[in-house]
Amino acid sequence: MNNNTNETQADPCLPGGLLPLEQWTLPQTSVHRSLKDAIRHALQQLRAGMSQTEEPFESMDQLPELSGTQKSWLVPEPDYSSQATAIACELKRARAEGSLSREVVCLVAAPFSGVEQALAHFSQPDQLDSSEASGETWRVISPPDTLLFDYQAASEWWDKQNLSLPWVIPELSDFWLRRLSGLALIKELFRRIANGSAGVGIVGCSSWCWRYWGHYLENAQMSPLSPAPMESERLGGWFTHRASGNGRSPVIARMTDDGSYVLPLAETSEAEKENSSKKRKYSTFLRDLAATSRGNPGVALAIWQRSLRARPDDDASVDDADEKTKRQHRTADCWVVPLAQLSLPTMPQSQESVTGFVLHALLLHNGLDEASLEAVSGVSGYQLSLVLSRLKRAELVIYDQSDEHWRVTAIGYPTVRRHLQSWGFPVDQF
Amino acid sequence: MMDDLGVKEAFASITGQALLKAVLVVLIASLIVLAIQKMLPRVAEKLGGKPRLYLLASVPLLRLLIILATIVVVVPILVEPSFENMVAIFGALALALGFAFKDYANSLIAGIVTLYEMPYRPGDWIQVDGQYGEVRSIGARAAEIVTPDDTVVIVPHSKLWNSLIANDNDGTDNLMCIADFHLEANHDVGQVRELLRDVAFTSPRTKTWQPVQVIVFNKPWGMHYRLKAYPFAPKEQFQFISELTARGSAELAHQGVRFVSAPVTGN
Repeated sequence: MNNNTNETQADPCLPGGLLPLEQWTLPQTSVHRSLKDAIRHALQQLRAGMSQTEEPFESMDQLPELSGTQKSWLVPEPDYSSQATAIACELKRARAEGSLSREVVCLVAAPFSGVEQALAHFSQPDQLDSSEASGETWRVISPPDTLLFDYQAASEWWDKQNLSLPWVIPELSDFWLRRLSGLALIKELFRRIANGSAGVGIVGCSSWCWRYWGHYLENAQMSPLSPAPMESERLGGWFTHRASGNGRSPVIARMTDDGSYVLPLAETSEAEKENSSKKRKYSTFLRDLAATSRGNPGVALAIWQRSLRARPDDDASVDDADEKTKRQHRTADCWVVPLAQLSLPTMPQSQESVTGFVLHALLLHNGLDEASLEAVSGVSGYQLSLVLSRLKRAELVIYDQSDEHWRVTAIGYPTVRRHLQSWGFPVDQF
Repeated sequence: MMDDLGVKEAFASITGQALLKAVLVVLIASLIVLAIQKMLPRVAEKLGGKPRLYLLASVPLLRLLIILATIVVVVPILVEPSFENMVAIFGALALALGFAFKDYANSLIAGIVTLYEMPYRPGDWIQVDGQYGEVRSIGARAAEIVTPDDTVVIVPHSKLWNSLIANDNDGTDNLMCIADFHLEANHDVGQVRELLRDVAFTSPRTKTWQPVQVIVFNKPWGMHYRLKAYPFAPKEQFQFISELTARGSAELAHQGVRFVSAPVTGN
């Protein structure tokens, strides 16, 4: 759906635009980095049986962390309404170009990519740019309170939903439980989509849930779309865009070890290179970050946030008024800790099958409450509490008070995915 | 006879110092082999998944390489490695093995063939002469398998020549499990097949990217269903079959499908 020529004009909230799922590729990294990661992972597994001390995060450097104000400036919360507009715009353009003819579009993205939150904004027309979204009114379909249905009841539930108007499901994994009576709603939805009786809609789906249903409904051909992977340049552009909102000048971020530049990005065109008065040394941090996060913006953002440091003599607050004066004396707005020195969450030593059942169930359902988690994973309540508290201490899962759901953390996701894969669990394609 | 082969001449030049050196080399090689046999399986257990299988499979190969290297080092220490001497030594060795240790040599040779053909590797689940278990280690003469009842069975490699060896996962971590259901006739076969497929897909142990199949046979006593699926790890197979059987039985009973109550003989 996107190509190189129009990528430069793509929305910074959706860099690379949307592309067919089969065209999604993992960001490349150096062989040195891949080997280092593989050895690190193997050593972590070996060490798991020997020491139990290194569970929580510990900083490996002496630089102070960013203050709240600095964080909100350098790493603000993602703008989901802009992302929603970008998605709507992409879909509209694809329809106009004829590359998208399906009435129901499936958007598959890895957890933490922000697609769910963006799709939730589709129900607020004022949030979408009316010229791009052509004034369509989208209705968000929310999951029922209970997900256990027989096929008759599931069919009746869908009959009650008004599918004649454009509809959107922000996250499909909220509509099922991995139990015998928990499959009916999605089966019935896909049956209606295949029949062409589901009207016009958008289905957002986590890559883990999509993988499962792709195997379950082996003959279903949904031709899903996916946000393009966040490669180093896209990541750099995205971070810069986010931090330089409200007319601020571009952020300067440099490595703590050798002072090489992370942001702004290296000039790519010859003219820009000539204009650049100084020869700068650029870091490979963003390339490594893109590979570590597997092109996942949410994960990259979490690691980026953790890797940022302030200078010891920096003021805690950054005032807009005298920002320009300060910048004249500064060599960098923030400093970046190298990935190798950054201690990311590690998997605690435990019975791998039980831990695997819990983590896999959480990813498959995009978070679950404790009762559902017990039913889905088959782990007893007592054991589940122990495992969850252990994983929480290790910063791999988090309890969301607002909906009482347990979820895998963005910062712990790379470790969790890698361990589930090495234990033999089915993993997503991202 | 030994004189005819020239063995006496070949060994005539062996000095005490050379013998001591050779013993030292053999001792060091033995210690390395012992360390590999003890350490690598332990490390493999920690890693799990495919790295575990690869590491386990490398143990016998490393041992063979060390043995070959030891022979290459020790022989020139003891005797001058001329063509005549080599013919003499290996001729005598072949004669001794041929007469005195025929079966032992048979197993040793089969052991080398095992490393080349790899009918089983450490970590594989195999069945030989009615004994089923996981290959724990592969020695020079025999392989050790551990049955599900935690009994160690020694399987001589010579079984390779004249026994059928069934390998369930063949060096991979994909092992198909089958849960059997014997049901009375007069039910909706399509519905039961779909239900049993769902039973497999809703198990947290199922490797969903591998095929899940439900096969049904019409028998004189009713219907025989076989639910075939893959667990996420071969060692989970018994828990997996138990879970499929328990959940499948409960749901079939809930749907009013009855199991055959009379004992059935044969297929």
